[in-house]
Amino acid sequence: MVTPLEIIRKKRAEAVNRIVSKGYLSTIRVYVGMATCEIAAGSKEVMEVFRQAIANGLTDVYLSQKGCAGRCNLEPTVEVIEEGKIPVKYGRVTPEKAREIVERHLKKGEVITEWAI
Amino acid sequence: MEDVQYKMMLCDGVSCIHNQSKELQSAIESELDKSGIRDAVSIHLSGCLGMCNKGPILIVNPGYTIYGGVGSEDVPEIVQSHLVEGKPVARLVIEEDHLYNRFFRIFGDVDFFGKQMRITLRNCGVIDPENIDDYLSVRGYEALAKVLCDMTPEQVVAEVKKSGLRGRGGAGFPTGLKWGFTAAQKADEKYVICNADEGDPGAFMDRSAIEGDPHTVIEGIIIGGYAVGATKGIVYIRAEYPLAIKRLEKAIEDAREHGFLGKDILGTDFSFDVEIRLGAGAFVCGEETALIHSIEGARGMPRPRPPYPSVSGLFGKPTLINNVETWANIPVIILDGGEWLSSIGTETSKGTKVFALAGKVHNTGLVEVPMGTTLREIVYDIGGGIPNGKKFKAVQTGGPSGGCLPEEYLDTQIDYESLAKAGSIMGSGGMIVIDEESCMVSLARFFIEFTQDESCGKCTPCREGTKRMLEILTRIVEGKGKAGDIEKLERLGSMIKKSSLCGLGQSAPNPVLSTIKNFREEYEEHIEQKKCRAGQCVALLSYVVNDECVGCGACKRICPTGAIEGTRKEKHLILDEKCIRCGQCYDVCKFEAINKV
Ligand SMILES: Cc1cc2nc3c(=O)[nH]c(=O)nc-3n(C[C@H](O)[C@H](O)[C@H](O)COP(=O)(O)O)c2cc1C
Ligand code: FES
Repeated sequence: MVTPLEIIRKKRAEAVNRIVSKGYLSTIRVYVGMATCEIAAGSKEVMEVFRQAIANGLTDVYLSQKGCAGRCNLEPTVEVIEEGKIPVKYGRVTPEKAREIVERHLKKGEVITEWAI
Repeated sequence: MEDVQYKMMLCDGVSCIHNQSKELQSAIESELDKSGIRDAVSIHLSGCLGMCNKGPILIVNPGYTIYGGVGSEDVPEIVQSHLVEGKPVARLVIEEDHLYNRFFRIFGDVDFFGKQMRITLRNCGVIDPENIDDYLSVRGYEALAKVLCDMTPEQVVAEVKKSGLRGRGGAGFPTGLKWGFTAAQKADEKYVICNADEGDPGAFMDRSAIEGDPHTVIEGIIIGGYAVGATKGIVYIRAEYPLAIKRLEKAIEDAREHGFLGKDILGTDFSFDVEIRLGAGAFVCGEETALIHSIEGARGMPRPRPPYPSVSGLFGKPTLINNVETWANIPVIILDGGEWLSSIGTETSKGTKVFALAGKVHNTGLVEVPMGTTLREIVYDIGGGIPNGKKFKAVQTGGPSGGCLPEEYLDTQIDYESLAKAGSIMGSGGMIVIDEESCMVSLARFFIEFTQDESCGKCTPCREGTKRMLEILTRIVEGKGKAGDIEKLERLGSMIKKSSLCGLGQSAPNPVLSTIKNFREEYEEHIEQKKCRAGQCVALLSYVVNDECVGCGACKRICPTGAIEGTRKEKHLILDEKCIRCGQCYDVCKFEAINKV
């Protein structure tokens, strides 16, 4: 009989495969805060900017939502994570800033330090 | 920052300091100077990282390399090999697969998070809460599988007991004991409830936890059901939390699809399911007996205990009820062990506590700190201190059931007993920082107004008593306070505390009594001198023009009631009887020529 632990290990492997097949191993991962507080601060519009950018041909980016990390007065927050680099956390991101993050950081690899937390 | 290539997080917890982490820090700094890469590396201090027995702990990002037991003599090798050549020093690396602090990988270098320790919020802000795959990938539901594989219900209860976990909903009752009581009952049916009513004004810990990581809570509830022999779980959540409800619904659905809920969970003969019940947002419905009445379809009113819900709860059946945060600790206790959790915190309080930090601090937000952290560390190290150069006055914990602690209590450690001894309570996690511009009498009045409004009306002391207290406080802030009012408040307060039916009334006077104890002079000033030192009580405030006035007329133009007189280029005058104290003249004056007195 398969034990519950064996089942869960198999499920985990499958889950990881599904995440990977959605592009998790892309060069860059972008996480947008989407909790009640973040949405109230305007994160839906920010998310939309990244979605649009991908729809318009931005490749090698894995986009995901996430819950609230707790930095209320800096919301909405966006994290840009690249393997082998220090994760960059942007605070108080507006749609305009998001567009610039797409252009400068995601496309050209420039960390916009003034907006980083 | 642009040049920084490595970020080091050095544990600044008590145990690591004892293991010479301070010496390690200076060794690292001087070694960095020596090798000329000082600017490429930033050093951040963190609170206890939960690996005390391997301390001192040093983490290097990117890569999240964890070094343990690092001595000053190892520093040259780490700097040369890891930071200069990019090769981690394998012999010092420790492999840790703890559940907690995963989020440190991403957030470890932000000072706000440094002193924190994330156990229950470990996945919040890290994974996609609406994707069960994300949760599965961070060892999700492994605790459930482990319990079903290798543990009897008794062993699960014993593990929770060993952890020393206490209820996070406010009262701090030992969780393992409660589980044991419920498990010991013989009944054809038992229930498990998750209390997500979260009624404290300003609190949002439970909402964020559910929105950020709903599966952790659900996994905890299923394990609880297994441990006490229940087949049904209920999450009681307020209807004002639509996003949390939506994520919870999705999580329950996904868990069912994967066979974590429903019949014969993970191929065993254990069956359990969870449903959601919505509360209408009454504060008293967070009290466990009122909550149970509300689920039963009756009015949300408390009843005297005993019998406790663990003996006779929902529909008269043994019922285990715990808070969201309590539940979120359970998977960690199972996977990392009760003993590990009990290694964190103080003698009587183990693990971490989540607070919603608000009020007059630079960094407001959600914080999770190990028990034993001091209030000062939260206000200054995590909160970043008081903005605008204002002075700290007090910190309020426990919301409408808690108290205000002034400066001399800032070094109080966060644990149930220390906070109670200082005159406040742990509560469910509200924490408001107050600066010199806030009036303590008004604050006390705010909370009494809240509890008075939320009193269910069943028992007289709470219904009538809080109303009388509110009347007295209202008259004090309106400048109509009388001699003897303070004593009357004290008498009423202690009477209400002793004779109320439920926790709402029993704790309602706390904000008043604690402010009288710690800020009595502010009450006296309001009553005797009709003065509010914070300048917040509008009725006690007058605006007067001083000699800086150049007669520009800006105040006269903006005054909505025509209460300001004066000719151009001459000193103006505010007519007190016409003034409605809106403060517009004060704000508009460019010459600081108007005083609040
Ligand atoms: C007026 C009142 C309001 C309460 N509100 C809550 C609440 O919102 N959430 C909560 O978990 N517990 C609340 N409690 C505490 C519960 O009665 C109960 O102790 C708790 O849910 C038990 O869970 P725990 O042991 O995990 O803390 C409240 C108690 C009182 C008296
Ligand atoms: S004090 Fe450093 S790991 Fe606990």
